[in-house]
Amino acid sequence: MSQAKEPKKRMSLERRHNLTGWAFLTPATLMIAVMSFWPMIQAFILSLQTGKANKLSFGDPLANYVRMFRDNVFTTSLANTFLYLIIQVPIMLILALILASMLNNKDLRCKGLFRTAIFLPCATSLVSYAIIFRSLFSVDGFVNTVLVNLGILNTGYNFLGHATSAKIIIIIALVWRWTGYNMVFYLSGLQNIEYSVYEAAKIDGASPMQTFFRITVPLLKPTILLTAIMSTNGTLQLFDESVNLTKGGPANATITMSHYIYNMSFKYVPTFGYAAAMSFLIFILVAILAFIQMKVGDKRD
Amino acid sequence: MKRKILSALLCVAMTATMLVGCGNNSNESTDDTNQEATDDAADDAAGDDAAADDAAGDDAAADDSAAGGNKLTVWCWDPAFNIFSMEEAGKVYQADHPDFSVEVTETPWEDVQTKLTTAATSGDLSTLPDIILMQDNAFQKNVISYPDAFVDLTDSAIDYSQFGEAKTAYSVIDGKNYGVPFDNGAVIAAYRTDILEQAGMKIEDFTDITWDEYLEKGKTVLEKTGKPLLSCQAGESDVIMMMMQSCGASLFDDEGNPALVGNAALKKVMETYAALKEAGVLVEVNDWDQYISTMNTEAVAGTINGCWIMASIKTAEDQSGKWAVTNMPSLVGVENASNYSNNGGSSWAITANCQNVDLAKDFLASTFAGSVELYENIISCGALATYLPAGESDVYAKGDDFFGGDAVSAKIVEFAGKTPSNNTGVYYYEARDAVATAMQNIVGGASVDDELQLAQETIESQMQ
Amino acid sequence: MYIFLTIVSLISVFPLYWMLISATNKSIDVSRGTMLPGLALIDNWKSLLSQQDVARAMFNSFKYSIILTACALVICSLAGYGFEIYHDKGKDAVMSILLLGMMVPFVATLVPLFRMFSAAKLLNTTVAFILPTISTPFLIMMFRQSARSFPHDIIEAARIDGLNEIQIFFRMFIPTMRSTYAAAMTITFMNAWNNYLWPKVIMTTDESMTMPMLVANLTEGYVTDYGVLMLAVLLCSLPTIIIFFLLQKSFAEGITGAVK
Repeated sequence: MSQAKEPKKRMSLERRHNLTGWAFLTPATLMIAVMSFWPMIQAFILSLQTGKANKLSFGDPLANYVRMFRDNVFTTSLANTFLYLIIQVPIMLILALILASMLNNKDLRCKGLFRTAIFLPCATSLVSYAIIFRSLFSVDGFVNTVLVNLGILNTGYNFLGHATSAKIIIIIALVWRWTGYNMVFYLSGLQNIEYSVYEAAKIDGASPMQTFFRITVPLLKPTILLTAIMSTNGTLQLFDESVNLTKGGPANATITMSHYIYNMSFKYVPTFGYAAAMSFLIFILVAILAFIQMKVGDKRD
Repeated sequence: MKRKILSALLCVAMTATMLVGCGNNSNESTDDTNQEATDDAADDAAGDDAAADDAAGDDAAADDSAAGGNKLTVWCWDPAFNIFSMEEAGKVYQADHPDFSVEVTETPWEDVQTKLTTAATSGDLSTLPDIILMQDNAFQKNVISYPDAFVDLTDSAIDYSQFGEAKTAYSVIDGKNYGVPFDNGAVIAAYRTDILEQAGMKIEDFTDITWDEYLEKGKTVLEKTGKPLLSCQAGESDVIMMMMQSCGASLFDDEGNPALVGNAALKKVMETYAALKEAGVLVEVNDWDQYISTMNTEAVAGTINGCWIMASIKTAEDQSGKWAVTNMPSLVGVENASNYSNNGGSSWAITANCQNVDLAKDFLASTFAGSVELYENIISCGALATYLPAGESDVYAKGDDFFGGDAVSAKIVEFAGKTPSNNTGVYYYEARDAVATAMQNIVGGASVDDELQLAQETIESQMQ
Repeated sequence: MYIFLTIVSLISVFPLYWMLISATNKSIDVSRGTMLPGLALIDNWKSLLSQQDVARAMFNSFKYSIILTACALVICSLAGYGFEIYHDKGKDAVMSILLLGMMVPFVATLVPLFRMFSAAKLLNTTVAFILPTISTPFLIMMFRQSARSFPHDIIEAARIDGLNEIQIFFRMFIPTMRSTYAAAMTITFMNAWNNYLWPKVIMTTDESMTMPMLVANLTEGYVTDYGVLMLAVLLCSLPTIIIFFLLQKSFAEGITGAVK
């Protein structure tokens, strides 16, 4: 281990701290091992089996993994999910960062009110928010009424009935729901930056833009990494919006991987082997992306 | 303090892990072949589970006998409807069996499905209640997937000839009966007579008609009143499936293989739907809530759905007397075309976890499959019988003022008797979704034949 | 800036406003798209209470969520602290491996987990609710990332003062990191409160029902009463909102002074 290189006399103290560290992280690690890794191993074994319901058998161990790339619904869901990831995550994180740094301003009035308002969407129950989004964007809904009155459209447009607009609405819904959530992490991360740094920058004549990019962003890097990994993970496992807003439609244009996996497990004749294999593809994709993000962002200065 | 909680939790976690790991010592069950097959690889794990199952089963048995064998537990989902009905059935049975009681746990259908699948897949049925209510469309799928999870009712005292044939067919698998039919899903066409009147038409003009006539009349109504005749949810194939069943057609052949390509009935259905959509006689909305709202806000002149839709129509009390009910249009140029179909509905099933199967069988036989009184009691909540003797009751002959004094209940029971049965197939939900996808593409301009070909491939791939 | 924040806030608050309005209207009016307060709040309330045991579901949800939040915060912050303060290659590697634990969709591990808990006869218990999410890679990483800004000289100073490592954690780290704890508490509570898929599989009796399950019950059935549904949804959303409102001061108005 690493302490082998250390000078001998510090060894005992180093070792003691090292062991304390291990002791601190043991309970959490054990729980994750039992509650996540053990079921994951079982799911992995399942992913090598083919068949329906309880009639599963081992055949070609890779059969399920080959199958998913020939399954046009799954490949559609993969493409949809990646589109959401590429467009939605950056928009959401940047917006959250901007809002957090605005709300971190000591001179701002009604901060608590603004903060709570912006956090509200993720606390709002899925049921009501799905109903609202669907009715807002329906043919005779609020958005269409406004657009028609402004002369942008002649008649109402069925936003959720067309592939591209339905995808855009899912992205809008995601940004709406999760921006406040990410803002919470940034707000709490910003507390670890001493406010005097900002005051000094102000005295030095730095513009708000400069302060944002030179101070806020670099100092928040650990938190940004955290939210980036979480959002990537969350988006690749996206389920609620696809199920509740569009039911994956029109014609599978908005279906996500997790939604399809759920259908394969519970809506259709249960195909748990195949569902597990698809889950492991998500696992591999998230792991690769997270690894890249860790490599880029997780350096101690 | 916090440390204490922490260590307590750890102990719990350890115990949980150990319990999972210790099952090994007890006897391996041999009859549990499915279970073994599932977990072949993790033979370690499979052993544990099988053993744990036995233990759990034994325990449940012990619990039940301790609690007395006169209680049945039930899962169903609608307090105003099937829960109410089940509790009424409990009361009817109590009259002869004073010690008897039913305990209903309100469980949404989707949760019933998730819990059932999870329990059956993990091989531990001990979490299931004695009786569950099952959507008719899911019956074949669940019984064929998990035959060991349900009790065969063929030899029970239930007289299946007393039910509509189409209804009973949902819960018959390999010639065996697994369900007791409950609510009626007979399709009705409901129209706003006041709107039809504005277009110079009457309810009689929509009775016993074909879809072609419907389309023409719909165009007139649209022209004169600006209102479409029908609304439905985009991405759901209810209307398509109703049209299919009205001529006894199925998306599968007798061997259970998908039969979309070369299916004349299906092609006609798709074309009819597309024409209705094209003409604006049918409008698609994006979800169920908007569908209900099209009726409540008078945005449409009618609807076609399972008879249970009446309950939603009736929530608009100010529209009382303005609605009328008749049968649905029939397809043109298709074999066995009729004006009758079915959408939705559910049946009771006894699970393998039931410790007192005889009691459960007797209970269902003497209530849902034998008591006209019960059906008279529950008609107030809109539960219409598929139990034919109930249709002859005086209660069913009463007029309903909301529908202009018409005896709709008796009418619906009559419709149900005329409904052709069809083969839902095990892969019903796969096919339903694939057809809905195809329909959306066809409405968007794609060719019917290409889309049906693609849909067939999708189903075949999902059946692997 | 105020204009921008006001617009964003209004967009964010709109659905809550709609929920409030709907909860005061009759189902038929909600379905017809009313935007004005109605008079049916009391009727909806009575109807909700007559259909569902709201008090029990509320109690259960609070019980599960509070216990889970308390346990998760202790376990995960301890680990996050351990990973960062005593970091070395080995621990960094373990951290990376732990992160993998959240990357498989829950649907895939649902059945094995269920099997585990039913074998241990823990169904319908608080323990079953909390154990799967008592330790999450996400929370551990959150504490690890924020521990990065915890000054090492405080630790050194404390060691010289004779505090042992556990004392340092409880007496120095927790008070200093109040903002992180407040944020973590909000998020964990919210996730626990809204958790649906897992409870719906393990909770099979009315006695163990949670608020999201109660809301789901109201949406099922042939007729949905939208006024009653929205009232229930409102009740289900309020606790998280209130907790956020109470805690937001602590995680947004830093106590950085304590670090110096």
